[in-house]
Amino acid sequence: MNTTPRRLLAGMFALTTLFGVAACGSGDEGGQAAPDGLNLMVKLFGTAPDPNGEMHKAVEKLAGKKLNITWVPNADYASKTNVTLASDKLPDLLVVNPKDAAFTKAAEAGAFWDLTDKIKKYPNLPQDPRILANASTNGKSYGVYRIRPLLRSAIMLRKDWLEKLDLKEPETTDDLYEIAKAFTEKDPDGNGKKDTYGLILPKWPAPNFSASSPYNAIDVWFGAPNGHAVREGKLVPEFDAPEFWEAQKYIKKFIDEGLTNPDWATLDTVKWLDPFVQGKGGIIIDVNVRADELFQLFKQADASDYQTKVAMAGNLKRPDGQKFSLPFTGYNDVVAISKQTVRTEEQLDEVLAMLDRLASKEGATLLNNGIEGKNFKVDGEYAVKINDQDPAVQTINNDVEKAFIQLGTSASVGFSSDKAYAWKRATPEEQAIEEEKKTLSELDLQTAQHDPTLPYISKTAVDKGATLNPIPTDARIKFLAGELTEEQFKAEIKRWYDSGGTQVMAELLELINKG
Amino acid sequence: MATDLAPEPAEVATGEPAGPRGRLSSRLSMFGRHRWLLLMLLPGLAYFAVFRYWPMYGLSIAFKDFVPFLGVEGSEWVGLKHFEDLFTGPDFGRLMRNTMIIALLTILIAFPAPIIVALLLNELRVRWLKRAVQSLIYIPHFLAWTIVASLTYLLFSVDYGVIAEWIHSITGGQKIDYVAQEAWFRPIIMLQTVWKTTGWGTIIYLAALAGVNPDLYEAARMDGAGRWSQFWHITLPAIRPTIVIMAILTSGNLLDQSFEQFWLLRNSLNADVADVFDTFVYYVGITQGGYSYATAVGLFKGVAGLVLIFGCNWLAKRLGQRGLF
Repeated sequence: MNTTPRRLLAGMFALTTLFGVAACGSGDEGGQAAPDGLNLMVKLFGTAPDPNGEMHKAVEKLAGKKLNITWVPNADYASKTNVTLASDKLPDLLVVNPKDAAFTKAAEAGAFWDLTDKIKKYPNLPQDPRILANASTNGKSYGVYRIRPLLRSAIMLRKDWLEKLDLKEPETTDDLYEIAKAFTEKDPDGNGKKDTYGLILPKWPAPNFSASSPYNAIDVWFGAPNGHAVREGKLVPEFDAPEFWEAQKYIKKFIDEGLTNPDWATLDTVKWLDPFVQGKGGIIIDVNVRADELFQLFKQADASDYQTKVAMAGNLKRPDGQKFSLPFTGYNDVVAISKQTVRTEEQLDEVLAMLDRLASKEGATLLNNGIEGKNFKVDGEYAVKINDQDPAVQTINNDVEKAFIQLGTSASVGFSSDKAYAWKRATPEEQAIEEEKKTLSELDLQTAQHDPTLPYISKTAVDKGATLNPIPTDARIKFLAGELTEEQFKAEIKRWYDSGGTQVMAELLELINKG
Repeated sequence: MATDLAPEPAEVATGEPAGPRGRLSSRLSMFGRHRWLLLMLLPGLAYFAVFRYWPMYGLSIAFKDFVPFLGVEGSEWVGLKHFEDLFTGPDFGRLMRNTMIIALLTILIAFPAPIIVALLLNELRVRWLKRAVQSLIYIPHFLAWTIVASLTYLLFSVDYGVIAEWIHSITGGQKIDYVAQEAWFRPIIMLQTVWKTTGWGTIIYLAALAGVNPDLYEAARMDGAGRWSQFWHITLPAIRPTIVIMAILTSGNLLDQSFEQFWLLRNSLNADVADVFDTFVYYVGITQGGYSYATAVGLFKGVAGLVLIFGCNWLAKRLGQRGLF
């Protein structure tokens, strides 16, 4: 070969490589922390706050740092987290689900600070031992957990329908069935047509079996494990307990008799509340704060008597009178600190001190209620909204409720703890539901079935979870739809065990026994 | 290839000296002669180098246990572990079956649809009607899959679907949940595909049909050929090369199902038929953070696609048609 074409080729290659490097270089800015500021990635439930807005400035002032916040819509958060982790540009502070497989791997490889011994030194950071354990990765805290009530499960019912049919809030699973039947057959909206149903069930988005869905709640009411339980020295998953089958027969009865929405297998959770508000269905099993959202939706539709439309009930007793309640994990995500940019212990202490300030009474009030005197005033133990017709104040309210509240650790949505103020409700009926929420959750907490595996992560589950998780989840829906018989469902469970489930259970049991 | 006897006008245009007589000096002068053309080639080469070839470096994580923080370099090599998991795991059979069945349906239904529509349009003699129909059937191409999916739910949902309601009022009996049942998943997917892609697909065939010499038809009519004979002996042979090229190009994309289309229609009840390689890669890699496994699945799909396109090209040549390369 002659050298010249080769040289030309080499030249071309060099050029293209240069283009390549230039192309990569231009987008590469966020790798380093801003010298006097921090990069954060936080969940967003509405429109992103203006970084020059009043609320953002107030938070920066308390934090004592410039904050560059990447607000990511909640619906895309998990995907965005996984993409961000795989890139080499981690934010300094990442709000993240500590059980996310990619996060666990990255944390164990040293991407995030182990805060297990650090958190104790900061009195404002939440540190309930049970919840610390729940949010940990095999005993190590790779972030400051964001508090949530430990018991949030409840039933929301159409109060006007109950009253019209002369029914009371349910206490047992049989009561709930009777109510659903009456809601379906006895024309609760009084329009002379049989066009209503009882229970509204959505397509639950998570492929994981134990996902705090209405199905999980009913499983637990019947005495099946919440996720997992140790029975006679063995770790039993929710879907392999005799009580589980009782619960399935119960749910299937609702579906077979048409007491649920016909599109229960496909209804998106985004549109889940619509049938309730539109008067098509009358029962929702979900977190208790959903009641507030329902009130708001009714208010938008017709403000005259919206407060008379929602009733609430707690977890239900099963037919023999025994009661089991579905608790939640007590946290929602953790705030993890990247080792990439926060390099030294001193820098870490500085960041933790900032988080501690944001978790103090002053910080929690700012992140959960807003700016006192601007968008709310204090009335006894409650916060009351003021000037909420003023567009500038509405912006603050929006920034707080849809965005900054997601940065708070010591108080959160629907849970003011003792750090922030609870909102005073607009009507006595709403206030009554608010009180009932507290009473019911304290009562139900006594019968809560805790999942002993929450603090632990099985290696096999990290590797094979993507394949394993949907097997029982999809099989249950198919069984309920009548596409699988009980035998076929059990065969699917066996397939789950054989594909790695057995190993997952063994690993988790070992971790539990080690403590 | 020996069977490739058709004239090859395209080859001439590349400016390469044909046959073995091209010696080093002539090659050299070729570079000199075409230096501006070659310069213009650079951006294209750069595009492929940067956006097509450089990212292939990332494929190496299919053979590693990729840990985000450690990066591609730092992650541990695990050889073929992920491929073993894929081929021995519970997903592979289902993914392969679903992908292949959809591919087959695409060849049988979605591929011929634009050809048939183009031929029908070609026979239309009313100019304005032809134009109007053409413009109307292009429209769905410009709608995103999310909109197509929303329309599908609006029309076929068991609770409020207009068409579902309508069919039920005619046939009576049990209401059918079209968007949730396994049996209806593939028909609905094909319906969506045909509705969305057919119109746009006719463009290339209409262009080929426009290029047919009218003298041929005139001569055929003189010889007493009817419309059917004209179609069979003139029109069809005229667009045959186009059909073959399109078939080969399609074969390369057969395993690429439009991800959104499947993802948006998938639910627990139809998951067994709805999971294809593309949705699985997204689900495992992006939502579950199983980067390496997802890459292995994607790599397998890529290799299978490559085999398909070479296979079809070979087949086309064996059948006496012109291949793509």
